[in-house]
Amino acid sequence: MKPRRVMMLSGLIFGTLALVRAGSFSGAAMGQEPGRNRHGQGDARRGLDVFVANCAPCHEQALPGLKVQPPQLEGLFQKKKLPSGAPATDAQVRRTIMRGRGTMPAFDQRLSDEDLKDLLSYLHNLK
Amino acid sequence: MSLKRLLLLILSCTLIAASAQSKTRRYNLRGVVVETKPATNEVVVQHAAIPGLMPAMTMPYTVKDPNALGELMPGDAITAVLVSTDNGKTSWLEDVRITDKSGRKNAETPKTRRLAIGDPVPDLALVNQDGRHIRLTDFRGKALLITFIYTRCPLPNFCPLLSSQFSKIHDDLMKEPDVYKRTHLVTISFDPRYDTPRVLRKYGLAYLDNDKSGFEQWDFASTNPGDLRKLAYAFGLEYSEADNQISHTMVIALVARDGTIAQYWGAQWTTAELERALRQQASAGTP
Repeated sequence: MKPRRVMMLSGLIFGTLALVRAGSFSGAAMGQEPGRNRHGQGDARRGLDVFVANCAPCHEQALPGLKVQPPQLEGLFQKKKLPSGAPATDAQVRRTIMRGRGTMPAFDQRLSDEDLKDLLSYLHNLK
Repeated sequence: MSLKRLLLLILSCTLIAASAQSKTRRYNLRGVVVETKPATNEVVVQHAAIPGLMPAMTMPYTVKDPNALGELMPGDAITAVLVSTDNGKTSWLEDVRITDKSGRKNAETPKTRRLAIGDPVPDLALVNQDGRHIRLTDFRGKALLITFIYTRCPLPNFCPLLSSQFSKIHDDLMKEPDVYKRTHLVTISFDPRYDTPRVLRKYGLAYLDNDKSGFEQWDFASTNPGDLRKLAYAFGLEYSEADNQISHTMVIALVARDGTIAQYWGAQWTTAELERALRQQASAGTP
C-alpha cells in the first residue's frame, strides 16, 4: 500500500461520489419543502454539506487499508436495524456519531448540535 | 425501477464514466508550505479543502519544475494547480505561485529537531490505556515501533490507516511467539485532553478485536502537554490544534533493542517495510 497514492485516488473517488450524493439528495428532496423533511427541524440541504465534509471520506469509498470497512449508509433509516445491529433510531445514530463506535471516531468535538440535526435530516433522506 | 432511481443510476454512471475516462483533471490548490524536499522534488503543503476532490489536509505533492520548488520556503502561502491523471494515481503541482512570504520568518525557526539515528529514545513518562506509567526506555531488549495519532482523527488515510496497519502488524507478529515477545508497539496520542486512558483503551480494543491481552504487546499512551511537546520535538512530529481540529504530520519511528533510534518514516511508508524492519531489529544480536 502506498499512502500518498491512496490519498489521491480516494480523493478523486470521494469527489465523484460526493457529486452523485448531491444528485441523490436533489431527487430525494423533490416534492418536499426545500431543505426540510419531517424528521426534526434539521436542514437536510445543509446536512449534505456536513455529510460530505465528515462522513463521506469514510462511508463513500472503499478503504482497503482500514481494519474495518465503514458501511455504506444508503437507506440507513429505511431498515429496522443499523449496520451495527442496533435499532435504527435518531437517538442511536446520534450516539454513534457523537461517541464513535468501534474504529469509527467520535465527532462530539467536531459537530455542533445544529450540524447533527441537519445531518440526521439528510440521513433520513438517503434512500 | 422508479423514474427517480433510473435518473440516479444514469447520473451515477455518467459521473463515474466521466471520471474514469478523464485522463487529466486540474484543481486549484491554496495552502501554506510546511516543508520542501528537494531530494524527491516534493513540497509538503497544509492546504484548504479542494472542492470536489478532498477535505483540508497536509500532504506531500510533487513539483516537477525544480526552479519552482527552489523558490519555496516553509511558511510561504501559495496557490497552485493540482494536476491529476490516471484516476489520481499520478499527480503533481503546476503553476506554483507564492502569494505571501510574511510567514517565512516564523517557519524558518525549526519547530522540531528530531533525534538522529543511534540516539537514545527520551526517558519520558507516559500514561497508557490502563492508567499505568510507562517509559519508552522500559522496552529495552525489544524492537519498538512507535507512531503518533489522535483518536478523533476523521481522515481515513491518516490515523485510522496507521492504527489499522499497526493492527495488521500486531496480528502477524502474534502468530510467531518468538518474534512477538521481542517486539513492542506504542501508539502515542498528541491529544491528551480528549484521549484519556479510558478513551485510549476503547480505541485500542477496537484495533485489537476486543482482546485486552493484546495490550501486553501494544500500548496506547499519552502524557501531559509539556512532555508531549518534548516527545514531538524528539521525534520530528509537528501538530497544531485549531477549531477542534488537529493538523499533524505523520511519523513512525523504529527503536532498536538497545533503546536507540534505528529508522524513521514520514508520509511514505508501507506496512511490509515496517514489519520487515521491525523483524530485523527484533532478531538483531540474537543467536
